[in-house]
Amino acid sequence: MENSLKGEQIIQDLLPRKFKTGGKIWVGILSAFCLVGVYAYYRQLRYGLVVTNMRDYVSWGIYISNFVFFVAISLVGSLITAVFRLLGVKWGAPLTRIAEMIAVAAIIFASIIIIVDMGSPERFYNLFLYGRIQSPIIWDVIVITTYFFISLLLLYYPLLPDLKILLRFKEKYNPALYKFYSFLGSFWKGDHKQYLLSKKAIHALCVAIIPVAFTIHTVTSWLFATTYRPGWDSTNFGAYFIAGAFLVGAGAVVVAMYIFKTWYHMDKYITADHFDKMGRLLVLLSLLYLYFNVNEFLTPFFKMKESEASYLNDLFTGSFAPMFWFAIFTGIILPVIILLFKQGRRPLPMFIVGIMVVVGAWFKRYLIVTPTLLHPFMPMHDVPAAYRHYFPSWEEWAIAMASLAGTMLIITLLCRVFPVIPIQETLDENHEIVR
Amino acid sequence: MLVMSAYKGVAQNAAKASVAIAINYFEANNSIPHLLVTAKSRVNGRFQPVGGIRLRLCLDKDSAGTAIATVVTSKKGEATAYIPPSVKNEWERSKTHTFLAIFDGDKKYEPANADLTVARAKMLISTSGKSITATVLQLKDTSWIPVKGVDVKIGVRRLGGDLPVNETPTFTTDSTGQASADFKRDNIPGDSKGNIVLVARVDDNDQFGNLSIETTVPWGAKTRFISDFDKRALFATRAKAPVWLIFMSGGIIVAVWATLILLVRNIFRIKKIGREAEPAVVQSNHRI
Repeated sequence: MENSLKGEQIIQDLLPRKFKTGGKIWVGILSAFCLVGVYAYYRQLRYGLVVTNMRDYVSWGIYISNFVFFVAISLVGSLITAVFRLLGVKWGAPLTRIAEMIAVAAIIFASIIIIVDMGSPERFYNLFLYGRIQSPIIWDVIVITTYFFISLLLLYYPLLPDLKILLRFKEKYNPALYKFYSFLGSFWKGDHKQYLLSKKAIHALCVAIIPVAFTIHTVTSWLFATTYRPGWDSTNFGAYFIAGAFLVGAGAVVVAMYIFKTWYHMDKYITADHFDKMGRLLVLLSLLYLYFNVNEFLTPFFKMKESEASYLNDLFTGSFAPMFWFAIFTGIILPVIILLFKQGRRPLPMFIVGIMVVVGAWFKRYLIVTPTLLHPFMPMHDVPAAYRHYFPSWEEWAIAMASLAGTMLIITLLCRVFPVIPIQETLDENHEIVR
Repeated sequence: MLVMSAYKGVAQNAAKASVAIAINYFEANNSIPHLLVTAKSRVNGRFQPVGGIRLRLCLDKDSAGTAIATVVTSKKGEATAYIPPSVKNEWERSKTHTFLAIFDGDKKYEPANADLTVARAKMLISTSGKSITATVLQLKDTSWIPVKGVDVKIGVRRLGGDLPVNETPTFTTDSTGQASADFKRDNIPGDSKGNIVLVARVDDNDQFGNLSIETTVPWGAKTRFISDFDKRALFATRAKAPVWLIFMSGGIIVAVWATLILLVRNIFRIKKIGREAEPAVVQSNHRI
C-alpha cells in the first residue's frame, strides 16, 4: 500500500506540467529570437549571401561554427543513453531523456543551419541528385540523417511505457495533447511481449547509435581535415572532435539538469549525487579533450612551419589570442580545477561550470573555422582589405542566435509535452529498492 | 603669403621622386624584335617597381616619324612593345640603332629618359649527329659577318626554363661565329614522337642585346600521355567513384538503415500485440 502511494507520488512529481508565468516568458523570449532570425534569413534569401560578412577568404563563418557546435552537443545522446545503458550505469537513468531531447533538438538545428549556409535552399535537392559519394559532405548528409532517425527512435521507445501513464490523466491535458499521446502510445499495454520487443529494440539502438555517433563527428571533422589548410591539415582531428563533443554534450546535460531540478523541483530525482558523478565525468572528459588539444597545437607550435606560422601566431599571441585562451581556460582548464574539489561538484557550481564548458566550446568551434580561413597557404591577390578580416554581420548573428534559441525552444517544448525523467524506469528502480 | 606659396612650391618639388628607366632588346628566331622597358624608383633605400607611368619609345631620335609606341608600365613596372612596320625605313637605314624611352614626368615623379644602342645581329642553329652548333652573325654593310667571343647558352626547352644540353653552362663563339655543344641529355622526355626543342641564346649582350634561336629535333624519349581523367578515383566524378567505396559505403548504409527499418517495423509489432492483448491486459493491469 505504502509502495503504491509512493509510486503515485513519483508519477505526480514527474508528469509534464503546464508552463507558469516564468515558462511562458522564457518561451516568448526564445520565440522572439527565432522571429528575428527568420527575418534575417528572409533578408539573406532576398538579397543573397552578400548580407553576411562571408567573402572570398572566410567562406565558412559563424554558420559552420554553429553547425559543428550542434553536432558536438548532439553526441551527448549516445554518451548518456547508449554508453551508460550498455555499461549498466544505473545512476544515469534519470538523465537519459534529457540527453536524448538535447540530441534531437541539436541535430535538427545542425541540419537547418547547413541549409542556411548554402544560401540557395531551393538547390538543396542537387546535393542528392549530383552529390559524389567520394565527398565528405555527402557522408555528413547521410550520417546526420541516420543519427537523427536513431535519436528519434531512442527518444520514442523508452517513452512508450510513460505514454501509457500519461494517458491515465486525461483531465490534466487539453484534448489535442491527449490525442497526441493516444496516437503515440495508446497501443502500449505493458504486455510482457511488448516489453521484450521494446527492450530488444532499445538495446539494438544503443549498439547502433555509438558507431553512428562516432561517425557523425568524425565525418564532420573530416570536412576540415580533408581540406589542405593550416590548422586543418591534421590526423588528430577525428578524435579531437569526438573528445570535444563528449565534453560539451556533458556540459549541456549538467546545465539542463540544474534547470530542471530547480524549475520543476526535482531534487528527489536529480540529486547532488548525480551532479557529483557528472562532475567526475566532466573532469575525465575535460582532461581527455585537453590531451587532444595539446596534441593538436603543441607539435605544430614546436615545428612552426613557415606556412603555418602566421596562423599559429595569430591564435597564440595575435588577434585571436584572447578568444583562444578564453576557450582553453574557460572551457577546459578551469572546469578541471573547480571540479577536482568536492565543493565544486555541488549543483550550483556544477551549473556554472556547465555554462563555462558550453560557452568555451562555442568559441572553440569558431576558432576551428575562422582563423584557418583567414590564413590560406597562398594569399589572394587584389582582394579588398575588408576580406582579410571577418566579423559576422547582424544577419549572421541573428540567425546564429535564433538557431541556438530554436534548439532551446525545442528542448523546452519537449519537456512541456513529455516527462523529463523516465517515469516507468524510476518506478521500476524504486520497486527494486523497496524489494 | 609669398613665403607660404614659395614653401608650397618647394614642398611639391621635394615630394617628387626620380625614376630609373632601363631598356632591354629581344629578338627571337630572327623575327620581329621587341623592347622590354622597366621603371624603378628608390623607396627607403630600395628600388621598387613604378607602375602606371606613360613612356614614349622611339627609334634613334624623338620625333613623330620614329615613334615605336607609347606604353604604360604594369604593376611590376614593366612594359613591352614590338618594333612596328611604321619605322621599317628607319630600321633598314642603319646597322646600329639607339632606342629611346622618354618619361615626361607626372605629379609623383620627375621626368626621366633612357637609351640603348644595339647592333643588328642574328643567330643560326644547326645539328649534326648529336652535336649542336649555334652561330652569331652581325650585319655589316650588306653582309652578315661572324662574331667572335660571344657567350651563348645552348639548352633544351623545359616547362620551367632551358636545361643546358651538357655540364657546360655557356659556350663562346670562335672566329667563324660558331659555338658547338654535344647533346648529353639522352632519354629526356619529349612529345609523343620524341621531339624536343633546342634553344641557343645570347643573354644581355652589350652589343646585341638578347638573341635566341630554336629548332626541334627528335632526340627525346617518346612519351605517351595517360589520362587519369576517366578512371575511377576519389577525385573523379560521381559516376566514377571507386568500386570499393561504393560497396563499402553502400554496405554500411544498407546495414544501418535495414536495422532501423526493422526497428520501425518493431513498433507496428508492438502495436499489434497491444491490440490483441487489450481485453486481457485491462483485466490484469498489474504493470502501470
